[in-house]
Parts: sequence; structure tokens; C-alpha cells
Amino acid sequence: MSGNSRPEFVRFTGHRAFTQRLVLATLTGRPVHISKIRSSSATNPGLAPHEVSFLRLLESITNGSVIDVSYSGTTIAYQPGLITGTVPGLGAALATDAIEHVLPAACARSVTYFLIPLALLAPFSKAHMNVRFTGPGVITSATHGAGDLSIDTFRTAVLPLYGLFGIPPARIELRVLSRSCAGPGGKGGGGVVELRFASQVRLPKTLHLHRPPGRIRRVRGVAYCTGVAASHNNRMITAARAVLNQLVPDVHVAAQYDPAPLVAEKGSTLKKKTGIGFGLSLVAESSAEGVLYAADEAAPPEGGVVPEDIGTRCAYQLLEVIAQGGCVMAASAPTVLTLMAMGSEDVGRVRLGREVMAREETIQLARDLKKFGAASWGIRDAKDDAGGDGDDDGEGNSTRGDLIISVKGTGVGNVGRKVA
Amino acid sequence: ARMLHGKRPPYRAVDLARYLYDESLTPQAAIKKWKGEEDEESDEEEEDIEQDDETFFRKTGNDVEDLAEDRSIPRFDYDELAARWSGEGAIEALRKRFATANLLDEEEGDGEGSDDE
Repeated sequence: MSGNSRPEFVRFTGHRAFTQRLVLATLTGRPVHISKIRSSSATNPGLAPHEVSFLRLLESITNGSVIDVSYSGTTIAYQPGLITGTVPGLGAALATDAIEHVLPAACARSVTYFLIPLALLAPFSKAHMNVRFTGPGVITSATHGAGDLSIDTFRTAVLPLYGLFGIPPARIELRVLSRSCAGPGGKGGGGVVELRFASQVRLPKTLHLHRPPGRIRRVRGVAYCTGVAASHNNRMITAARAVLNQLVPDVHVAAQYDPAPLVAEKGSTLKKKTGIGFGLSLVAESSAEGVLYAADEAAPPEGGVVPEDIGTRCAYQLLEVIAQGGCVMAASAPTVLTLMAMGSEDVGRVRLGREVMAREETIQLARDLKKFGAASWGIRDAKDDAGGDGDDDGEGNSTRGDLIISVKGTGVGNVGRKVA
Repeated sequence: ARMLHGKRPPYRAVDLARYLYDESLTPQAAIKKWKGEEDEESDEEEEDIEQDDETFFRKTGNDVEDLAEDRSIPRFDYDELAARWSGEGAIEALRKRFATANLLDEEEGDGEGSDDE
């Protein structure tokens, strides 16, 4: 925190990278002003339901945040407060001393849309961060339309990465109390998920993940189906194995079957089955520590896809993610890069595939971080594997190796722990 | 062939460093330039006009790009993926990244694998 009493607003436009910008604002303590949120959209201008819900979540886990949303919802101003986490007796109504966050039925994003930014805030919280997501909008599966991770991928491929930063994953618990796929039209579900994040740190360590990513030793995964025949699991697993077994013999996919959750309909006492569907989450573990690649695929809510297709698609997606290379896959790169930038004032290095770097999300993160006062990233080629990794992608391009990204931490750390 | 036409090779780390913080480029445009998909010959001014055109079209045409949401999983073309990964060549090329690869036949792979443990 700087000594200025009222720092300038950091200004952004557009609806992209919404959670990322709010997370950075909360972590750095700088107010943020976002305008032109879907202002050109004729049908749905302004904030989407999941974005409003994320703002409410921010409000409930911080103290002293001021959020101003314009009448049309296309402009918001956010002055972050202190990340308090779960304070007993303040909003924590549940017996398990967790904040209950109800997602609306119109929410079309998976619960990982909220969990990924929440997990980024949680290490910097003053108290433990216990949040339970309930309500008619909790989707635990991957989402077909929005491209969110499933809860299983988040738990097995994103949360373990926190251990690399000195944030012990043993004290992070993610309870999936009820599973749900996306409901009709891709909206809503009936899941219940509780994140208990008890590893608050003063300052996360930075990361030196610039070694070669190692070799894939095994593939783990979870096949889930809610409200459809449990044999879908086996059909997905068999199809995925057919692709993966020629490369790695150690493939083990757990099958998870749940009945469809019942959700009360608005304005009636009847309950309706929702969130019927199935999907597959695969995680490839490398011999190098902390190198995980994951793939997610779920059936679209309108149906019409056989489980075999989901299985093979997920396996192909996993191969593609592995072929992209680097030590961090695209889906978890924002988490890793943000933690590095917020961590100790030290230069950390991470090895990323070129395809991972060539994503709008990654480029936007670099720019947003700079706007919030972080140092620019250093970029250089990974030299140590000129022959090894370069032709992995099979495209015969000379500039196909990985990149080493150097990120200097800003030493933001945990404001709550600094003061108190 | 690209080299003959006087184009810079795509995906160069130096180029990325230049485009990464260039706020006049949208992230999409920066990626395109880095990948070398955009015409390199057009000078800066022309590209600026191009940018203006894009934003102009977006406002009127209500482009899909503008309404795109943030994604964790990139959008994959599954037909393309299936075509690529059902071929033997691609699988064999990727085999180096797996612990099942024959270490005795591939020295480079051996070196890569041994220094991780």
C-alpha cells in the first residue's frame, strides 16, 4: 500500500478479463474503473449474471469495498477493501463458519469461474477463507459454451500449484457436496461446493519453473455423470483410454455417479431435476514436480453427443495441451503468473509454451499487471532443449520451443497480515 | 518460403516482447502479428487504419469477437484435433514427452528425462 490517501483509478474498458482485473485491484489495493462493459451489445448490455455475482462475492469476503455499478450496468467503479476472509459472526451464517454465496439460476459459468479468482485472493486474506457456493446456479462440471474448467480439474490440476508458492495445499480443502452439470440452455445447476482455504501466507514465494517439463508419467482423471446412466462413465473412460494407452499405460480414471440435483423452481413449491449431463476431466502428471496438464470436456446441455465422443475429445485435448509444452498449461497460467507477480520482490521464471503465451488471456494479463504497477515480463527462448522440445509439435518450425517468462514480484503480499 | 518473401519468422521471442505491451494493438492483433499471420509489409500507419476499421466494423456489425467471454479452456476444433492425433506420426512425435519412450534409442530424450528427477 502506498502512502497516498486516494490513489488514482486504474481504468479499463470492455468485459474481458473481468475477474482478473478485480482480483488485481483487490490485491494491490488500487481502485479500478471499468467502462463499456458490453455497451455495444443490443440484447444483453452491461454486466452478466455471473459478473454481478462475482462482485457480490468480493463484497462478502472483503471489508470496506465500495462498488458502484451504473444504471445500465456498463460501467463499474470498485474501491477494494481489506480481504478479510471469513470473520466469525459477520456474514458467516452457516454452522461450518463458511460464508454462503448463492449463485443465481441465470449463471452460465461453472463454479470454477468463481473459485479460480477466489483462490487467488485467499492466500492474502486476513482470516481463513471458507466459502460455500450454493443456489440454483452452481455448475460443478466443465461448461461447454463458456469453456470453464470442471471442479475436478481445478482440484487436481490448479490447487496443487499453490504448493509451489509456499502455500501448502494440504490446508486447502475443496468439498464437493453435490455435483451438477449445466442445466437447460447451459444455465444453472444445483451443486454445492465448499472451499476451505486455511493457508494464508505473509508473502508467497516466487517460482523457478524453468526446467524442461519432464515426461508424462501417468494420467489421472474423473469421469462424472449426474442424472444419466452410470455406464456413461465407463464409455467415456474406455474411449479416452483407447487414445491415451498407446502413449502411457498408467491411466486411471475414477468414475463418479450422482443423481441429478433437485432445485426448487421459482414461484412454486415443486422441485425440478436439473443439471443433467456428463463429462470427463483428465490430468497428466509429469515426472517434473509441479508440472500438470489437464483437459476437460463436458456434454453440451442440449445433448446429442455420445459419451465415446466426449472421451476421445477429452483425450485429444489432453494431447494437444501436452504438445503445447511448457511447465504450466494455458488454463492455470493466469493463476501462476498472478501469484508470481504478487509474490516476493524477486524475479521468478516460468517456462511456457508458445501457444500458451499466444492467448489473448495471457497477453491481457501482462498488460493488466503492468497497469497495476507490476514490472514488465522478460521473455526469452528456452535454450536448453533446442533439439528436444523443438520438434515435439511436429510442425517443423524452427521457433517452436518454449519461452521462459521472467516475472518480477511486486511484494504486495498480505496486507492484512502486515497491519494486524 | 516465408523467409524468401522477406517476412520475419513467426513466434520470435523478441517480437513478442515488442508487441506485448503495445497498447495500440488489441491482444488479438498482437497475437496475429506475433504469429506472422498479418501482412508484415504494411507499415505502422496502415495498420492503425486497419485497427480503426476493425473497431468500426465491430460497432456496427455486432461482431462475435466483441462478445467473446473469457475462457479457461481454449476453443478447440475437434475435427482438426482428431485428424491430427489419430495419425501415427503425431503420436510418435509426442511419445518423447512420455515416460514410456525408449530412452536407449533417443539420447536427447534421455538427457531431458534424467535431469528432472
